[in-house]
Amino acid sequence: MSDTRVTPASSERTDAPGEGPLGRIVRWLYLIGGSIGLLASFVLMVEKIALIENPSYVPTCSLNPVLSCGSVMTTPQAAAFGVANPLLGITGFAIIVTVGVVLTIGFRPPRWFWLALQAGTTFGVLFVHWLIWQSLYTIGALCPYCMVVWAVTIPLFWYTTLHNLERGHFSRGASGPGAVLARYHSFVLALWFVAIIALIAVRFWDYWVTLV
Amino acid sequence: MSKEKIVEGGRAWPSANVLLTIGVVVVAIIVFGGVLLSGGDDQPQGSPTASDSVLLNENSHRLTDAGDNAVTVVEFLDFQCPACAGYYRNITADVEQDYGNRITFVVRNFPLDNHSLALPAAQAAEAAGMQGKYAEMYHALYENYEQWAVNEDGDQLSDDEDRARAAFDSFAEEIGLDVDRFHADMASDAVAERIEADKADGEKAQVTGTPTLFINGERFTPSGETFAEVKQQFREKLDAELAQ
Repeated sequence: MSDTRVTPASSERTDAPGEGPLGRIVRWLYLIGGSIGLLASFVLMVEKIALIENPSYVPTCSLNPVLSCGSVMTTPQAAAFGVANPLLGITGFAIIVTVGVVLTIGFRPPRWFWLALQAGTTFGVLFVHWLIWQSLYTIGALCPYCMVVWAVTIPLFWYTTLHNLERGHFSRGASGPGAVLARYHSFVLALWFVAIIALIAVRFWDYWVTLV
Repeated sequence: MSKEKIVEGGRAWPSANVLLTIGVVVVAIIVFGGVLLSGGDDQPQGSPTASDSVLLNENSHRLTDAGDNAVTVVEFLDFQCPACAGYYRNITADVEQDYGNRITFVVRNFPLDNHSLALPAAQAAEAAGMQGKYAEMYHALYENYEQWAVNEDGDQLSDDEDRARAAFDSFAEEIGLDVDRFHADMASDAVAERIEADKADGEKAQVTGTPTLFINGERFTPSGETFAEVKQQFREKLDAELAQ
């Protein structure tokens, strides 16, 4: 996917009209990240159903006391809005994948459409951080499939936000702080991931040291 | 994710973003990897062990008692946890029977917050212990797990505390407890303190989930997929310790 962007002297945008420089990243992220999230939610729902049918069923991702879907999936937090969380994931990620497909086909959504995606991914990222908090400090176990969802939701939110900032969807004016953030987009994302990995490392330190 | 290059005068430079991203990842790998490999926090290598004084004390409940120098099994459990009930049915009940006079089997409380009936069940067991019938209540709770720990359809963990307490009362009568005293003890500070002390010791022994078992102070870490495999591993470990 190595791509060499030639910056013309006139500093014209080389992107197709309507798709900002981040548009290409967003498109691929929606397709690939959305598919990964959809798959993880789907598997979690399948495991959840298996667990309902047979309470002594041990989910495929219950590996040990720390990496244990079973102990996460049976908590109240696993149905935060009264229905199983994976249902929200299946619904949301299916939309994300579909948007990725129509963006690839060439659909250039209007501003309201991007703002709706912003609302959806913002809800997703807030929910995911609440779940990270609960998983680490209340439940005290990690669920591998859930962590896959964490890992795709954060970049989905981040690049949707950057794209909207860069296109001026929030203010209809100049791009403002978005330009600086967009220039360091993957750096900020890497810091974000490292911070979460650090929290996980510290919280379950006693366990990780037993692995080496 | 995307490699960006700004081409100026035919020379390609990775952007500051790419360099910084690579920098963060490399630093993170070095820091986490380095601390982990250097055995950070001076943790012992291999299977974690916990000192005997944390795992059991003279007040701890013993299902079987072969004396202080015998092979010792310590189980931290949550009476409502399905995996603990599975261990009981498939592994520990048989172990208790088969190894009874050769090992000391100690049970410690580790009720988890996400099992709403785990604490009342632990109180029931401790209250029975006040009348010298801890082991009897322990067996009653697991043998009749379906009567109180799961809902009537058997498809979910129950949170019906009244139903559970009624079941505990019937167990108390069956094993011959003074039921009024049993009720008073269940609500007593002494019982609450015992449970808290067990939990605190469990946390010191780095117990994070249930069931967690220790054989002679060494944490038992099963690798088996099925109870049959775990059972075999557990018994092999016990046999090896007994042979020493």
